[in-house]
Amino acid sequence: MNIPTILLTVRWMVRDTFRQSVSTKLFWVTLGITLLCAAFCASVRVTGDPAPAQHDWEIPSMLPKNEAEKIGIEKVREEGVRVVTGEISFGFGAMTMPSARPREDTVRFLQVWLAGWIADTAGVLLALLWTAGFLPTFLEPQSVTVLLAKPSPRWSILLGKYLGVVGFVTLQATLFVAATWVALGFATGVWTSAYWLAVPLLVGNFAVFYSVSAFLAVWTRSTVASAFGTLIFWLLCWTMNYTHLRMSGVPVEGISASSSFLLDLGYWIMPKPLDLSGIFFDAMQAEALSTKPAELIEAQKAGNFHPEWAVVSCGAFAVGTLALASYEFGTLDY
Amino acid sequence: MNAIAFEHVKKTYRGGLLNRHGITAVSDVSLDIPIGSVFGLLGPNRAGKTTLVKMLLSLSQPTAGGVRRFGEPASQRHTLGRVGYMHENHAFPRYLSASEVLRFYGGLSGVPGENLDRRAENLLERVGLADRKNEPISRFSKGMVQRLGLAQALMNEPDLLILDEPTEGLDLLGRQLLRDVVREFKQSGRTVLLVSHVLTEVDELCDELAVIVAGELAFRGKPAELTHNGQLTLEAALKDLYLKGAK
Repeated sequence: MNIPTILLTVRWMVRDTFRQSVSTKLFWVTLGITLLCAAFCASVRVTGDPAPAQHDWEIPSMLPKNEAEKIGIEKVREEGVRVVTGEISFGFGAMTMPSARPREDTVRFLQVWLAGWIADTAGVLLALLWTAGFLPTFLEPQSVTVLLAKPSPRWSILLGKYLGVVGFVTLQATLFVAATWVALGFATGVWTSAYWLAVPLLVGNFAVFYSVSAFLAVWTRSTVASAFGTLIFWLLCWTMNYTHLRMSGVPVEGISASSSFLLDLGYWIMPKPLDLSGIFFDAMQAEALSTKPAELIEAQKAGNFHPEWAVVSCGAFAVGTLALASYEFGTLDY
Repeated sequence: MNAIAFEHVKKTYRGGLLNRHGITAVSDVSLDIPIGSVFGLLGPNRAGKTTLVKMLLSLSQPTAGGVRRFGEPASQRHTLGRVGYMHENHAFPRYLSASEVLRFYGGLSGVPGENLDRRAENLLERVGLADRKNEPISRFSKGMVQRLGLAQALMNEPDLLILDEPTEGLDLLGRQLLRDVVREFKQSGRTVLLVSHVLTEVDELCDELAVIVAGELAFRGKPAELTHNGQLTLEAALKDLYLKGAK
C-alpha cells in the first residue's frame, strides 16, 4: 500500500468535490439557507426573568403572566409562585407571544428546535438528497475510466469523494451553527456553548447515512436509487430506533422472545438517528424545555439509553458500509 | 523487456439471472508489445479490442490468464503512473477549466505539485488551448475536448501511451498534432498502442499491428506482411480477415 499516493488521491478528490459543490450552486444554496436562518435568529427578541436558582429538591414554581392573570397575579404571588413575564418576538417585533420560560431557557428552546429538529431532520435529509447525485454522476463509465487508469487504488478514490462530501457538509453545518449562534447571541444576549455540539451531531448523522448513499451509488450508479434508497433507509432506521426506545421505556406485554431479539439486533446493527439527537438534547438540557421525545426520557429512566454505544455502533456501521462500497467498487468491471 | 504482455487472456462478461449466462469478449489471446514500438490494434466492432485495453489498464479483470505492464502484473497499480491514456469519448468534469483538468489528472498520476502548473501550461500551448485555459470545458467543442484528452494523457510524461480511437472529432491540425506526438514517442524509444479504425493512420504510424476478430488474435505482424508486400490494400486485407473471423 502506497501511503503517499493514497493521501494525494484523497486530497485531490476532496478538492474536486468542493469544486463540484461550488459549480453546482449547492454551496451557495446551502449558504443562502444558513443566512436566512441567521437573519431569522437576528430578528428574535426575548425578554423575561433570569432563570431562578434551582436545586435537585426544588419544584419549579412559576407561571406565565397570562396564566397568572386568569387566577389573579397577587393571589399567585401570595402562594409563593413566581409570575414570569417573558415575551418572545420574531421579525424584529412583527410577531410577539408570551413565554413561560426564563430568558435563557427560551433561547435554548429555540436552539433545540433549530439544530435538534429542523437542521438534524430536514437539513440532513435535504443534504442527503442534494448530494446523492455527486457519486453516481462521477461513477459513470464515461467520466471515471480515465481516473481509474491512474495509479491510485480505487478505494482511495471513493474514500476521497466520500470525505469531500462529508467535508462540505461539515463546513456548511459549522457555518450554520456559527451564524445562528452569533445572531441569536447578539439579539438576545444569551450565549449557549452547548449549542456547538450540533456540529458533530449534524455531521455524524449525515456521514452515517451518506455511507449508505455511497454504497447504493456504487451498486446501482443511479442518482434516483441512491437518493430515495437512502431516504427510505433513514426512515426505516428512525422507526427502528423509535420503536426500540418506546419498548425499552415502557415494556410491551405479549411480545415474543424472538421478536424482541430481532428488534434488539436491528437496533444495534442499524444507525440510530434518534439516539444521536438524544446526546444533543441532553447537552442542551432539553428535558426541562419539553422538547425532548417522551420515549427517550422513559428509556433513559429505565437505564436503556447508552449514548456512547450508539455513537460507536453508528460509526462501525458507517465504516462497514463504506468498506462494502469500496469492495464493490474495487471489483467492478468498467 | 515488453511494455505490454497478454498471457492467454480470456474475458467473459457474466449476465442474466444469477450470472449464469456469459458472453466471451476475448478468448485466449497472447500478445506482447515490445518497448519502443508503435503498435496498432485493429478489429471490427465488438471484436474485443476495448476489452483488451480495459484489462491492460486494470479497468476490468481477466477471467483467465494474465496481463503485464513493464514486466509486472497489472495488479501492481504503480506501473499505471508510467501510462498515459486517451479515450475516444471521455467526459471530463464539466465544472473544471482546461487548466484545472490537467492539474487534477496530473496530480492523480503522481506529477509533483511544483511541476503541475508548468507542464499544464506547456501542454495547453502544445495542443492549441492556451488561450482558453481558464474557460470551463462545458463550453468546449468535441475536438477541443479531444485535444485536452491528449494533453491529459501526456501530463505524466508516460513511457506507454494508449490511444483509443484518438482521431474521433479531431480536425486536420489535430490529427497532425497526434501524428507528431506518436513520432516523438517513437524517436524517444517510448511505446504507443494505437487502437483505431482509421487505416491510413495505422499504416503510416505503426511498426506492427495485431488484428482481433471475434475475441481471438487473427493476425500479428508488420503491415507489409498483412498486405503481402503491397499486393493488397490494407483495407482489403483486413476485410478478408474480418470475413474469415465472422465465419
